[in-house]
Amino acid sequence: MSARLRSLAGRLRRPERAEATASEPELAATAPEAESPPLDIAPNDPIIGLFESAEGPVDLDGLELDSPALEQLRAAGIKLAVPLVSQGELIGVLNLGPRLSEQDYSSDDRKLLANLAAQAAPAVRVGQLVREQEAEARSRERIEQELAVAQLIQQNFLPKQLPDLPGWQVAAFYRPAREVGGDFYDFIELGEGRLGIVIGDVTDKGVPAAMVMAATRSVLRASAQRLEAPGEVLARVNDQLCPDMPDKMFVTCFYAVLERESGRLRFANAGHDVPYLGTPAGEVEELRARGMPLGLMPGMIYEEKEATLGPGDTALLYSDGLAEAHDPEREMFGFPRVKGLTGSRQTGHDLIDSLLTELDRFTGPGWEQEDDITLVTLSRSGGAAMAASTHATELASAVSSNGADRTLTEFEVASAEGNERGAMERVAAAVAELGLPASRLERLKTAVAEATMNAMEHGNGYRPELAVTVRVLASEEALRVRITDHGGDQPIPAAGTPDLEAKLAGEQKPRGWGLFLIEQMVDEMRVSSDESHHTVELGLNLRGDEDGDWRD
Amino acid sequence: MAGGTTTTMDVRRVSEGPSVIDIGGDVTAASEDVLMDAYAQVGEGARAVILNFSGLEYMNSGGIGLLVTLLVRTNRQRQRLLAFGLTDHYREIFELTRLDEAVEIHANESDALAAAGVPIGGRA
Repeated sequence: MSARLRSLAGRLRRPERAEATASEPELAATAPEAESPPLDIAPNDPIIGLFESAEGPVDLDGLELDSPALEQLRAAGIKLAVPLVSQGELIGVLNLGPRLSEQDYSSDDRKLLANLAAQAAPAVRVGQLVREQEAEARSRERIEQELAVAQLIQQNFLPKQLPDLPGWQVAAFYRPAREVGGDFYDFIELGEGRLGIVIGDVTDKGVPAAMVMAATRSVLRASAQRLEAPGEVLARVNDQLCPDMPDKMFVTCFYAVLERESGRLRFANAGHDVPYLGTPAGEVEELRARGMPLGLMPGMIYEEKEATLGPGDTALLYSDGLAEAHDPEREMFGFPRVKGLTGSRQTGHDLIDSLLTELDRFTGPGWEQEDDITLVTLSRSGGAAMAASTHATELASAVSSNGADRTLTEFEVASAEGNERGAMERVAAAVAELGLPASRLERLKTAVAEATMNAMEHGNGYRPELAVTVRVLASEEALRVRITDHGGDQPIPAAGTPDLEAKLAGEQKPRGWGLFLIEQMVDEMRVSSDESHHTVELGLNLRGDEDGDWRD
Repeated sequence: MAGGTTTTMDVRRVSEGPSVIDIGGDVTAASEDVLMDAYAQVGEGARAVILNFSGLEYMNSGGIGLLVTLLVRTNRQRQRLLAFGLTDHYREIFELTRLDEAVEIHANESDALAAAGVPIGGRA
């Protein structure tokens, strides 16, 4: 209400001349080019109520009201005010001076004016709404553009692929919040069977955070090649970042060097969340080392520690977007949960999947991610790998008992030709536990492959830095696969039936079967978009008719 | 993961009869060169081309588009296009896309060869 009235005040203007004819009413009240200063009607001015309840034009002479606006109108020579009321709300006033003929306004004049006001009011209101929406859209667009730039920087500097380390399994997961935070991770090939592993978080969000992240990453890469000890590397990075670090910004960062053969892990920590090391026996060790965040002050010293990863051990590096996620009651997901799952004997993607499933369950549906979430796992092969995978299944089924959706898997695919095939296989592996009939599984696989191809091609333009996110959810009733790309602003092509004859006659391109196929392959296909993303949801009913007649 | 499986298309001439293209691996938009090379080996004189899908692992909409392109060429050359060895799933996709109306689908190689022996005028 108050916002509406504030904008109203700006739109009421004093007429240029204190006179107008009935046939040519002074429309300065709504004419944007009027030069006279706007007339302010305070939100609590009683004249608003009077105008809103008036039926037709109001004679200002003889009106008794303690109203500053009324005095201003009279001072400007206004005789007759014609309120413009739309849906009970005053949105403007036509102000008329005395008639040029110096006669009073006739009842015909008043009728004409009342009719005019009744027709003008909704039109003015629509105009106001359009203008408000345009302003909103412009500011939203600006924000979205900045978000896109931040995302682009961020994604450009994240590793394009995971290191290939014989005897080890390295997995990573990164999901930016809508307003991109400054999370990053990196793997640095150091030669002689050594691998540098980095995880960090820049305070602040958006473009500034992304820039600092990019700078930190470069400085760290350079220092890691030159220096051996992780503590010295962080000290050097800190000294180099300090002079140029914007005010109130700093970087938390954990840096470790892994020796592939021995499993020795030397590490130092600049104030980042303490990573955990889980063993096949279910024990969890904290990889603690003291040190201040990077960029606060030069000359800092970073404690260096080491641990050894035995067969079956898994180290989990993560960002605070995970531990500090809140549920609707504002309770925090918390470090104990993260630590607990690290001790669940799971490795690699299984551990990441469990953490995300647990987080999903904790935050509930409709949660808007507060901060970037980054997870990196480092697992040494061997040991209790078999036990680990069994356990993962048990945990996943335990989650399902509440009947709500559970996430079977969530992963990202870089947009490159042929990558849909891997996505298809991963979805197939994730839904294996549901025991779908073979023919239904085949159809789902085709639908997933086609939707992923569309997402990589039409949504992401096959730009490798843009990922397609695939999420598989299951409830008792249905299986849903959500495939999201970055093409929110792209129009969604219609899923018409392709015409084979036209294609054979060369009247249509031979391609264009994708969307048509998807629709045929699943029970339900839903498409949704926001400003920057586009999601295709594929649904399969898990209850009801047996396989075979589902399509008819 | 990236790259996936490769495509192979070996051309076989069956005792002076029609040529069989043995497809192995994936049929996607990326298979265009391989398929068109195989088709070129079959030669324009052939009256029928038989596609053997027994070794097919994955075909996507790009691959279907490719088959349509092949159909355009075989139609132009007045050649018949036959296929066998499709799994139930891909057979369903042929039906959905109505490719089965333009490509003659058979259960196995001997059926396809027998059908290819029938003169063009004998087609339904």
